[in-house]
Amino acid sequence: MLILGIDTSCDDTGAAIVEDGTKIISNVVSSQDEIHEKYGGIVPELASRRHIELIWPVVTEAMTRAHITFNDIGAIAVTHGPGLIGSLLIGVCFAKSISFVNQIPLVAVNHLEGHIHAIFLEASPDFPFIALVVSGGHTSIYRVDDFGVYREIGRTRDDAAGEAYDKVAKLLGFGFPGGPIIDAIALKGDPLAMTFPKANIAGSFDFSFSGIKTSVMNYVKKNPGSKKEDIAASFQSSVTEVLIERISEVVKAEGVKRVVLSGGVSANSALREKIGHRAIKEGIELFLPSLYLCTDNAAMIASAGYHHFKQGNFAKYDLNPKAYLPLVSATG
Amino acid sequence: MKLQSNSDAETKEIGHRLGEHLKRGDVVCLYGELGAGKTTMVKGIASAFGINERDITSASFTLIAEYNVSVPFYHIDLYRISPDEVPELGLREYLGADGIAVIEWAERAEGEIPEQSIRVILHHIEDNTRLIEIKGIHMGTSD
Repeated sequence: MLILGIDTSCDDTGAAIVEDGTKIISNVVSSQDEIHEKYGGIVPELASRRHIELIWPVVTEAMTRAHITFNDIGAIAVTHGPGLIGSLLIGVCFAKSISFVNQIPLVAVNHLEGHIHAIFLEASPDFPFIALVVSGGHTSIYRVDDFGVYREIGRTRDDAAGEAYDKVAKLLGFGFPGGPIIDAIALKGDPLAMTFPKANIAGSFDFSFSGIKTSVMNYVKKNPGSKKEDIAASFQSSVTEVLIERISEVVKAEGVKRVVLSGGVSANSALREKIGHRAIKEGIELFLPSLYLCTDNAAMIASAGYHHFKQGNFAKYDLNPKAYLPLVSATG
Repeated sequence: MKLQSNSDAETKEIGHRLGEHLKRGDVVCLYGELGAGKTTMVKGIASAFGINERDITSASFTLIAEYNVSVPFYHIDLYRISPDEVPELGLREYLGADGIAVIEWAERAEGEIPEQSIRVILHHIEDNTRLIEIKGIHMGTSD
């Protein structure tokens, strides 16, 4: 069965056609980074306006590439949160409209759940597994026991990991988004040149990245002549070590030796390399989606939506987007 | 009023005390560079309204986080906004109504902010030391 997935949770407008939750027929993402670079971040009003302009062309493109019409679609899956409210609203209103006009069932997908499903477009991890969703807006660890069965184990208390990358990139005078830029520059620096703190929160699997950011800020102020490459490499080393340490602790605590990574930061080359080594060392079965499935896309939304559809978990036309939407198990 | 904080915990404590003096319609503007402790201060202020500090995270991503407790509590973060984008945000809906609004990077929206707002300036003195200046509200004597 074909599902049309729609995602407008942040700066990208995405539409995709996915068969049976696993096979990508088409996957279109309008990367808007060139617009946002100018503003040093995602400017939400600008993002919503761009979503309005792009939603039809992006959806049409996804259907054209798949050689299908609305008659061929079994359900529409749309992200209803979390994210920027103005941006989410465009996707949700659009999905409701085409669902109503074409009489196609509608399902609502949590964006975080979408990230967790990205891996099912390429592999079939067994349940249960530990999922790390790490991006510009989120840093959370879940235990996933089945499709739709999630338990949050830890999350950030302040900045998301990707947000720390963006803020550090900005204070070092680099562009947006910070992740890929720091990842590239760090290759030329010494990750042991300086030590930034790796915050642990006692008795909890939560994260804190605000302290690392502040520590980089202090260092830059006190050592104006230091090499930016070394700062970038040392910062990246701290962030990736924190993420990997926490995953390793959770794997031990839960007794689940299967880990799935997702979200934009999981495209980071240092994180992928280091967690790969750690997984081999600790006998963890590791699942890393391809880079284009780590960042925001609608194929992952369609994949998650397929399982809601199978469980008869449909959305009604009073569906409203939510900026804050914790991921909890579906109630069917 | 000027207070010194030597840790995140003390910043939260100062925030909590400020929170206890707030009433419906109050707008609190937070000023200070990256890492000055603005979000930490918001955690403290929010705790006075029964909001779990773990639930207050950076709002840089979603811009406006709303908590429905005894009063509507709005945590606003304008870090990513350029001043010319501010008029389109619809900030006034959140300011001075029946809720409490706490705004990080408030300098990006000076034109939109009510004159009588409470201003909190966080000065980054040293690694963990902050000088916190609070204007526009009387909080009694500091102990």
